[in-house]
Amino acid sequence: MERMDDAPGLRLSILGIVVISLFGALFARLWYLQVMATEDYQQVTQANSVRTITEEAPRGRILDAQGRVLVDNRTSLVVTVDTEAVAELDEADADELLLGLATELTDFGVPTKVSRIERRLTDPQYSPLQPIPVAVDVPEELGIYLAENADAFPGVAVRRETVRTYPHGTLAAHLLGYVGRISPPEFEAKMGPVDDPLEDVAKPYQPDSNIGKGGVEQVYEDDLRGVPGITRVEIDAQGRVVREIDRQPPVPGNDVQLTIDLDVQRNAEAQLARQLEGLRGSTTRDGKTRKTPAGAAVVLDPRSGGVVAMASYPTYDPSEFVNGISQERFDRLTQVDPSENPLTDRALYGLYSPGSTFKLVTAHAGLVTGMIEGNSTRNDPGYYDIEGCEGGPEVCQRQNAGRAANGSVDVPRSLTVSSDVYYYWLGDRFYRESATYGDGIQASARAFGFDEPTGIPLPGEAGGVIPDKAWKAELAAAIDGDPTWYAGDNLNLAIGQGDVLVTPLQVADAYATFANGGTRYQPQVAARVLRPGADPADPTSVVRTIDPVVAGTLDLPPRVYDPILEGLAGVPVSGTAASAFDGWDHDAFPLAGKTGTAEVGSETDVKADTALFAAFGPVGEPRYAVFVLLEEAGFGSDAAAPVVRRILEPLAGQAPEGPDDRPLIPVGGASD
Amino acid sequence: MSLAELARVSRPGPDTSRRDPSAPFRHVDVLLIAATLALAAIGVLMVFSATRGAEGPVDTSFLLRQGGFVVIGAVLMAGVALVDYRRLQDWAPFLYGASVVLLVLVVSPLGSASKGAQAWFGFGPFQLQPSEFSKLALAVGLGALLAAWEGDIDLRRLVVALVVAGVPIGLILLQPDLGTVLVFVAMTMAMLLVGGVKGRHILVLTVVGVIGVVGVLNSDALAQYQKDRLTAFTDLEGGSQESTYNVKQSIAAVANGGLTGEGLFEGDQTQLDFVPEQQTDFIFTVVAEELGFAGSAVVLGLYGIILWRIWRAAQLARDAFGRLLCVGVMAMFAFQVFESVGMATGIMPVTGIPLPFLSYGGSSALTSFLAVGIVNDVHMRRFR
Repeated sequence: MERMDDAPGLRLSILGIVVISLFGALFARLWYLQVMATEDYQQVTQANSVRTITEEAPRGRILDAQGRVLVDNRTSLVVTVDTEAVAELDEADADELLLGLATELTDFGVPTKVSRIERRLTDPQYSPLQPIPVAVDVPEELGIYLAENADAFPGVAVRRETVRTYPHGTLAAHLLGYVGRISPPEFEAKMGPVDDPLEDVAKPYQPDSNIGKGGVEQVYEDDLRGVPGITRVEIDAQGRVVREIDRQPPVPGNDVQLTIDLDVQRNAEAQLARQLEGLRGSTTRDGKTRKTPAGAAVVLDPRSGGVVAMASYPTYDPSEFVNGISQERFDRLTQVDPSENPLTDRALYGLYSPGSTFKLVTAHAGLVTGMIEGNSTRNDPGYYDIEGCEGGPEVCQRQNAGRAANGSVDVPRSLTVSSDVYYYWLGDRFYRESATYGDGIQASARAFGFDEPTGIPLPGEAGGVIPDKAWKAELAAAIDGDPTWYAGDNLNLAIGQGDVLVTPLQVADAYATFANGGTRYQPQVAARVLRPGADPADPTSVVRTIDPVVAGTLDLPPRVYDPILEGLAGVPVSGTAASAFDGWDHDAFPLAGKTGTAEVGSETDVKADTALFAAFGPVGEPRYAVFVLLEEAGFGSDAAAPVVRRILEPLAGQAPEGPDDRPLIPVGGASD
Repeated sequence: MSLAELARVSRPGPDTSRRDPSAPFRHVDVLLIAATLALAAIGVLMVFSATRGAEGPVDTSFLLRQGGFVVIGAVLMAGVALVDYRRLQDWAPFLYGASVVLLVLVVSPLGSASKGAQAWFGFGPFQLQPSEFSKLALAVGLGALLAAWEGDIDLRRLVVALVVAGVPIGLILLQPDLGTVLVFVAMTMAMLLVGGVKGRHILVLTVVGVIGVVGVLNSDALAQYQKDRLTAFTDLEGGSQESTYNVKQSIAAVANGGLTGEGLFEGDQTQLDFVPEQQTDFIFTVVAEELGFAGSAVVLGLYGIILWRIWRAAQLARDAFGRLLCVGVMAMFAFQVFESVGMATGIMPVTGIPLPFLSYGGSSALTSFLAVGIVNDVHMRRFR
């Protein structure tokens, strides 16, 4: 027992020494890690970093007026390379990696050169902090292969992206626009400076995000774009994702429902192309060869300004822009004569002489200023001598097309038969009596919406030109020309020739304004914004409604309106477009319209005329205003009016059964 | 003449107990209690820092729960003082038996599994981990046994003692909870040492233990991931990603702290949730990163004070049972601190062991407070 007296003390001491040793070890280790070797281990910390992976949200769909899908999304497999991970490799390994990747891509049916991948990786448009896409739309098998052999391809990953798909191909390409990678100026406009982007942007962009370019995709970008998903992951020194820290799933963008009707749009495009391509190379009645390089067609709803269809020829395939178009292909599309550029939407940017379709404006000017009444007559012998003009007939005489004589004409008949003489007379009077009636034609033109963009919410619309004294003086000062405004200038303006320039959309909007009694709407392409993927028929799916916008009103009392309507209504019945509308049931769907034939080219550069036709109907309660323009196609009555008819036929329930074997040019057309 | 005898002679009479210098409540170990409470307070703060979330609304759920555990623990610690520790010697068979029953039940379908170990009973939002409490039962049970033998331990008695320790160890291996097993081994070894087991027996046990560990690692008794985890700390660069991840992150966090730390709630690794289990087994990384070497030293210093006071209580204990209780608790704390801090700093294998008073968890907190309460009880009643 004497052992027990001191043994516990001794043994407790042993225990104490053991514990003190253990604590000593801990202190030593902590001192080493935290004070002596701290920097060595901190490098490990910095290499273990948080990376934010953004995941683009699916864009909203674009629907037609009846809810049919015009633009949808599909999934595309994208191969990405993390530049940070590649930078960690030594040069030989990096070369081997890129060569191996290019080989696999090529083997799996995506021909790729190493140099192309290298260019991509150093492209300043891509953020080196994000994995850079090097191949798109790769087959599923390649995705699986790369995932299974991840060790052989450090930094290479496959992700899914949603890209645009166009179920109807090139349909409404100009109007819809396309989606492409955000450009540096676009990025700055949305996010501020690249190196210091704004933080609280509701739908933020990355430097390689997609953005709507042109058309509805651009204008309704803020509706269509979703909120990108954000996943924060931890990355080890080799660039491998160690684990996910947190994730905010992407929020899809809203759908946009257009005023466009798929059927009308498809028909308008088809008829426009059919006529242009069918007439190409043929000869007009005045002996010129039709080149018909381009054209446009617009269908508006006069009750709201909604665009039912808007076609431009030639067109392009927006799916070429999905996944990024090659520079070469883009150059082929754009580096051509502007008149042949398929990317140009001629309905919006095309500037044309309106020809006789402008007589609507001149007639309105004569009537609304009180200069004439509807029954004011004038003898039309086929030519007009400018009053007080000194000089030979070459200077002082203007002729109808073909010098055709129309006899005694009043306002209705002047429109129905398209008497130039009547409008030369009005133009001449406005010139000589400007003290009384002012620049009446220009004033009416502006009231109809010419001389400025219609305000349609699509990018880059042209405004056109309505020439007046001030305009000519300004032009003369710029080109050192003759600043004098002559009677001849007024005569040209009166029949829509000379310096007056309009866009097809402006003409359509002007006729729609007349058709509805004088309310000029700003044309709209979109009707509603809907929740993503929602049923358009369900009222609760509406995020917001895009209401009609009144851009101005036209003074249109009955003494002005009635004679003009009478004249326009006569055009397809007994006037210049009678042969084009031969067989049309005018009782079931009464129409009003106006032909136009605008001279282009010169004596040295002979070109066929621009053919135009504007129409609206049914008269009384018009639902459609249609305008068609064909470049270098001849008379409006011959070339343009048949296209308008074919666009209107399904809408009026008058489409012929079976294949359409009617001739492109109606028999017995008038010279306008 | 001892101090206690002096007191009894000089201060007789029934109503003088308040001024009785041997009265237990005059000998509360204030330093032990103060260090314990200080550590628990730091622990609550560290748990909060580890769980509040880097962004968004601050998560206070862990803070409130851990705070609640500490309050309950402190009350239990005070409550233990009301009971004479010698009563525990009488209750030892019952306490030991109850803990064995619980350990059996927990590996039965009644228990619930989490993180690969069947170690918990679920009670609504709370979970009870019986292996924590069974550490105290081992101290009481083995302590009572060794005290009864009064240092006269032959081979037969040694085997009995080893069986008493081995039963709960075996049950915990079934869970499996390797960390707690190691705590049991450490406690058993310390108590056998102080309890009077012969030196050569201790030596043989140690050699057998080392051979056993090496044998287990080279056999198929453990799954490969468990072996990886245990050996990863020796080869951080070569080990597999999964096995070395935790240790690398933890070492980086500790190194990040430097001399003075990155500041409370400012630790990159901590706030970004880089170190898995950082509010429980790896809580020390939070201390090391945010409070630096200075803060780590304070925390280790507080543990040092606690261990010193327990060691002192063991020396002053008036009987072998009290002394063995203190030794058991001391070994428990010392090993848990060494293992938990050691694995966070990469010198010990990764095994799941809570850091007493710091790690989040109710069973661990209550066990630790009870343990300090028992030591204080021994200290208080050293004169009567």
